[in-house]
Amino acid sequence: MKIRYFLSVIIGKLIIIFLKLFKRSATALPGKISLKICPYLLEVINDRCENKLIITGTNGKTTTNNLIHHILTSSYDFVLSNLKGANMPQGIASAFLKDIKKKYNWGIFEVDEGSFSEVLQHIHPDYIIITNFFRDQLDRYGEIESTVSIVYESIKPLDSTLILNADDPLVANFKSLKKNSVYYGVVENYFSNQHQNVIETRFCPSCNDNLNYEYFNYGQIGKFGCEGCGFDNPPYNYSIIRIKGNGKNCFDIKAKEEIFENVCFKYEGIYNAYNCCAALTFCLEIGMISDVVIERIENFEYHLGRMEIIEFDQKILKITLAKNPIGLTEVLKNISYDNKKKSILFILNDNPADGRDVSWIWDANFETLNVIKNLESIYCSGRRAEDMALRIKYTNFPTHLINVDDSPKDAIMSIINENVDSIYLLPTYTAVFQTRDIVFDYIKNSHHYLDLSKFIKNFFS
Amino acid sequence: MYPDLLNLYGDGGNIICLKHRCDWRGIKANVIDFTLNQEKELNIGDIFFIGGGSDKSQNIVYQHFLDYKNDLQDLIEDEAVFLAICGGYQFLGEKYIDAGGNEVPGLGIFDYYTQSEEGRLIGNIIIENNLNLDPLTIVGFENHGGRTYHDYNSLGSVKVGYGNNGKDKEEGMVYKNCVGTYLHGPILPKNPHFADYLILKALKRKYNINNISKLDDKFEYGAHEKVMKLYSK
Repeated sequence: MKIRYFLSVIIGKLIIIFLKLFKRSATALPGKISLKICPYLLEVINDRCENKLIITGTNGKTTTNNLIHHILTSSYDFVLSNLKGANMPQGIASAFLKDIKKKYNWGIFEVDEGSFSEVLQHIHPDYIIITNFFRDQLDRYGEIESTVSIVYESIKPLDSTLILNADDPLVANFKSLKKNSVYYGVVENYFSNQHQNVIETRFCPSCNDNLNYEYFNYGQIGKFGCEGCGFDNPPYNYSIIRIKGNGKNCFDIKAKEEIFENVCFKYEGIYNAYNCCAALTFCLEIGMISDVVIERIENFEYHLGRMEIIEFDQKILKITLAKNPIGLTEVLKNISYDNKKKSILFILNDNPADGRDVSWIWDANFETLNVIKNLESIYCSGRRAEDMALRIKYTNFPTHLINVDDSPKDAIMSIINENVDSIYLLPTYTAVFQTRDIVFDYIKNSHHYLDLSKFIKNFFS
Repeated sequence: MYPDLLNLYGDGGNIICLKHRCDWRGIKANVIDFTLNQEKELNIGDIFFIGGGSDKSQNIVYQHFLDYKNDLQDLIEDEAVFLAICGGYQFLGEKYIDAGGNEVPGLGIFDYYTQSEEGRLIGNIIIENNLNLDPLTIVGFENHGGRTYHDYNSLGSVKVGYGNNGKDKEEGMVYKNCVGTYLHGPILPKNPHFADYLILKALKRKYNINNISKLDDKFEYGAHEKVMKLYSK
């Protein structure tokens, strides 16, 4: 038995070295091969982690995972986590191969809804966070109801503590499992709306009757109540009770009886308020000191390209992953709060990891484009650039401001040279890392160029 | 019809497409939602759209829809324009036989049936249309577990992908001005010739108009051509 384990580790490590030599991402393949050699590798990981948390749901897994990892490492020496968003068994195994230890204080894993039941057969979490359920990659998962029921059924036999988004009816319904559960949410705020602008489920997950909403925070997330069976938001244990509309992303948070005022997070958007609240809920539940947790939330920085803010040449460039209708709708809504002169680049790919079906862009609310102020131009790129351009045309956005270039590199070069103050790059999943690399290469090279010209100028003066 | 329940896979984009293509030509088009607790007289409609929904949604719709079966049948016979996609297409038939062999009744407007068979048929699809439209190709994305078998005229023959059942190389169904198809994408924006075909049929029925002005379809055919480039064999 042990031989298989050692063999899998050696080969996995070799693959990592090999991939690094060729500058390829080593987030999944090493784990995939190692799992073939040693099918019980996930059990080994399970045994080595003293405590475990699994994060699942459609949106916010990677951010919540990275944020919790950042908070935990302030107080724990050994935290194992699949931080780069590779959230199937091979992603967890790859994270382990890169950071092999005898013991970890915590194992924090984000797990794709589709792999959830498989992972739970090997890894037995003390806590499970469920963020939300939206339609995403229907070619892989099928309809949202079946995704929810797979997760629901997989949790049934467990005795894990559930940390649940009380504002998503599909998540709040996990209350009926009668597990030890902790609820978090966000009260009505300036992102809230009386009307739902993206079609998501509006029916009671418990009895199928109509759900009535007092307000929507986004998607089907908000304050709801069912006429038929009385199903409604469970009371919050942790909640964001105010979002300050002062241009910064600062919240007042109520944690059981305590209130923390003015907690600021670098990244905008109502969905990030939920991510922060989920992370804070978990960290306080496991007994961490609140001052430490808040400090770490405030100094958290993302370096993955999923959400990244880069300043150069007096421009602000933001890269934000946008991979499903709700995500894209909310990202566009955030851009509408920026009044500066700006350009937006969409990079739409249809590789298997993106979902091969690009029809999802028609479920997102693109009408926001027409209320974004000072939007100078739009670029569309990626394998399905033309589909994105077509989607935008059907908002009546002027077509002469829409540029189509299916090479991401060329499109990024063009947009970076636009005479604007803000640049938004919105790639789908498989374009994220490439986008980040192109941007950083450009900045590195252009600064060399600048340094050289400065040098020449100084030399001759 | 039932936009809050039958709304999978971006098919609402077809409505956006029809509405804009009418607006751009100065044709006034009103989009009217018909759903539970929001019932309307059906004969005020010129173009009817029925998308697909989850099993749960389709069960909710079925009971309600049954009351309107005769109205729909009359409208289809009277050459009203219908576009039914995926679950909506299956729905117009007699029954759906699920994986366990259980028969789920459909509206029974047409005497075809759909059978669940192993493996979902998923992927980009290219067909050659039987409606005499230029260009010949219609492109989209299909994602269905059910296989539909019928003897009606088909919308087109399958060049790439599966179509009705993955066996007879036919895709969709056409009866008078009623079209059933498995194509998402959504189908109309990337296939403006087909979108205009439906608009023209509706104009002909209501006002006896026989042609409509051309639009600049550079973006539309750009997306169409890209599917051809990436996925035609």
